[in-house]
Amino acid sequence: MSAVLSLKGATIRFGGLVAVNDVTFDIEKGDLFGLIGPNGAGKTTCFNLITGVYRPTSGEIFFNEKLINGLAPNRICAMGIARTFQNIRLFQALTVLENVVIGGFLRHKASLASALAYLPPAITETSRLEREAMDLLEVLDLADVAQTRSADLPYGKQRRLEIARAMATQPELLLLDEPAAGMNPNEKEDLAQTVRLIRDQFGKTILLIEHDMKFVMGICEKIVVLDHGEEIAYGPPSAIRNDPKVIEAYLGEAV
Amino acid sequence: MNWGVRAVSIVAAVGFCFLIQTVSLGFGADIQRLIALAGLYVTLAVSLNLINGITGQFSIGHAAFYMIGAYTTGYLSIQFLKNSGMPGPVWLLLMMLAGAIMASLAGLVVGLPSLRLKGDYLAIVTLGFGEIVRIIVVNSPFDVSFFGVFKFFTFPNLGGAYALDKIPAIRELWLIWLLAVVCIAVCRNLLKTAHGLAFLSVREDEVASLAMGVNVTRIKVTAFMIGSAFAGAAGALLAHYETSILPSTFAMDVSFIILTMVVLGGTGSITGSALAAITLFALPEVLRRNKEPVTGGTFLAIVIGVIAAVVLIRWFQNEYHGSKNKKTAGYFASVAASAIVAFGLTFALNAIPALHDKAFEGSKLRMVIFAGSLIIVMLIRPEGVFAHHEFSWTWLKKVLRIKPKSEALAT
Ligand SMILES: Nc1ncnc2c1ncn2[C@@H]1O[C@H](COP(=O)(O)OP(=O)(O)OP(=O)(O)O)[C@@H](O)[C@H]1O
Ligand SMILES: [Mg+2]
Repeated sequence: MSAVLSLKGATIRFGGLVAVNDVTFDIEKGDLFGLIGPNGAGKTTCFNLITGVYRPTSGEIFFNEKLINGLAPNRICAMGIARTFQNIRLFQALTVLENVVIGGFLRHKASLASALAYLPPAITETSRLEREAMDLLEVLDLADVAQTRSADLPYGKQRRLEIARAMATQPELLLLDEPAAGMNPNEKEDLAQTVRLIRDQFGKTILLIEHDMKFVMGICEKIVVLDHGEEIAYGPPSAIRNDPKVIEAYLGEAV
Repeated sequence: MNWGVRAVSIVAAVGFCFLIQTVSLGFGADIQRLIALAGLYVTLAVSLNLINGITGQFSIGHAAFYMIGAYTTGYLSIQFLKNSGMPGPVWLLLMMLAGAIMASLAGLVVGLPSLRLKGDYLAIVTLGFGEIVRIIVVNSPFDVSFFGVFKFFTFPNLGGAYALDKIPAIRELWLIWLLAVVCIAVCRNLLKTAHGLAFLSVREDEVASLAMGVNVTRIKVTAFMIGSAFAGAAGALLAHYETSILPSTFAMDVSFIILTMVVLGGTGSITGSALAAITLFALPEVLRRNKEPVTGGTFLAIVIGVIAAVVLIRWFQNEYHGSKNKKTAGYFASVAASAIVAFGLTFALNAIPALHDKAFEGSKLRMVIFAGSLIIVMLIRPEGVFAHHEFSWTWLKKVLRIKPKSEALAT
């Protein structure tokens, strides 16, 4: 079976700091894959490499066997990788619905000219995207706040909206950066169900970063552990939990 | 879409333009000119709003595109209108197109560096671009050569530091206002579609837009090109209205005035930009007409009144925790109280000979008014008068019918 995403020796340096060092792993279609590690381990930087925010200093990143090193982020998104941000980056002044419509914009087929003249192609495309966005908001339980300014949402809903917006690009691979951060136990429980639903019903492959061990161990089937940019463990949750290297890396932190 | 409503609006818009023309023909030439310039400023402010307010690219050199439109078409008309044998309005339309194309090519040139630059840095580039355009015109004619060795061509004479004059006069007020209406309609249409959301997303968060697959590069360049095209078309209209244009007509302060209009009106709001353009253009003109000198005492009284109003309004905004209606009442009370104080002070202060005898013309206050209104708005409503709101009939209804709290919560 060929991997959806594969990192081969991905490395990035910021001056003297090697934030991600020779990281190699494969994600297969339908995986629910976890990426964990202590603070500053290089997890978010990994996402930034995969999504084209940074170009790797060395190593290769393949998406469906195509090399995507150094492509522009919007190109990579168009190929089928979407992400959420750890430090929520919604379009704050816009409504929840508008945020999700923008996620769908890359599938928009009407020309700019028809938008400027407000002609039927642009009108129907816009309402099609709005309908699709509403459907996604139903799935993520945000339909009732569709017309709310996204900045006015409570924290947990902002995180869900990040997911809805990424889903609107209809990605094959979904990258979630600490989706449960700042949520209460109930919200986390709902989120875990939603993540499973996205994988099972929508058939997405998911890579997620999370600090909450209970959450990660509960839903991920395979996990990669980073520490100081290096990959220190790989395997199913049961193996990761008992790995001495992982325990050492997390020593001093509550596991 | 409702084509009937659409047809009616288009007819109404064109009718409105002819109405303006008919009404202004009843006035003298000077008032007519003001009505024309007001229309041009609406176009300039609304088109800059597309770049600054909607797409979030901080451009402060909008007058350069206006200038490119004016000089290109002024020069073309001097050279070719006589021989073309075309009727005035048709030629003018052609010139608007030419001005728009030239300016939007220039917009492309400025838009490209904007891909890498943000905020202040982009502002400096656009400011520099404005100066470059002006200096090119001031130094015309000149030879374009390879280190003086190989001459490519001679840049045409655009009047240098003096006026480019004897531009054939084609004065079509309705066309000036039609351009403003079209500019407003285009921006409004854009914002009603998903395309418009993509423009807004660039303003809101570039990194997130890229991650959502939005082609940020393309949108920035497009915004610059459309915005400058409208400024260029406005320039064409100006050149043929004034028949004589000077580099100083398009100096840096014009760019700043247009920017002030956008910021005051509410960055991103088309309605705000258009209304601020008319207000800020009309205010100094009204003052200029008022030949009666302003005495130092009156000026001081007004300044004190304005400061008092701002301080009071800010107090009601920040310290007073009443209901929304009470707050609004507080704002009105602040303004009324300050006005009364200012009125009283006028007499008191003018009684002091030193203040009474020092008088100056109202028109000198032009820049003071711009600066003052900018400071006031930044203090009491930093998001601009209209913020990101737009005029619409539903919005008007909502504002006029102030709902009680319980009902507002229920809906
Ligand atoms: N653009 C950058 N320039 C310099 N250093 C950077 C840059 N981006 C990340 N780093 C550094 O790389 C290291 C890894 O950061 P990263 O954000 O990937 O950690 P993380 O694993 O996501 O941590 P956390 O759990 O706190 O989110 C950190 O030391 C960080 O300071
Ligand atoms: Mg991180």
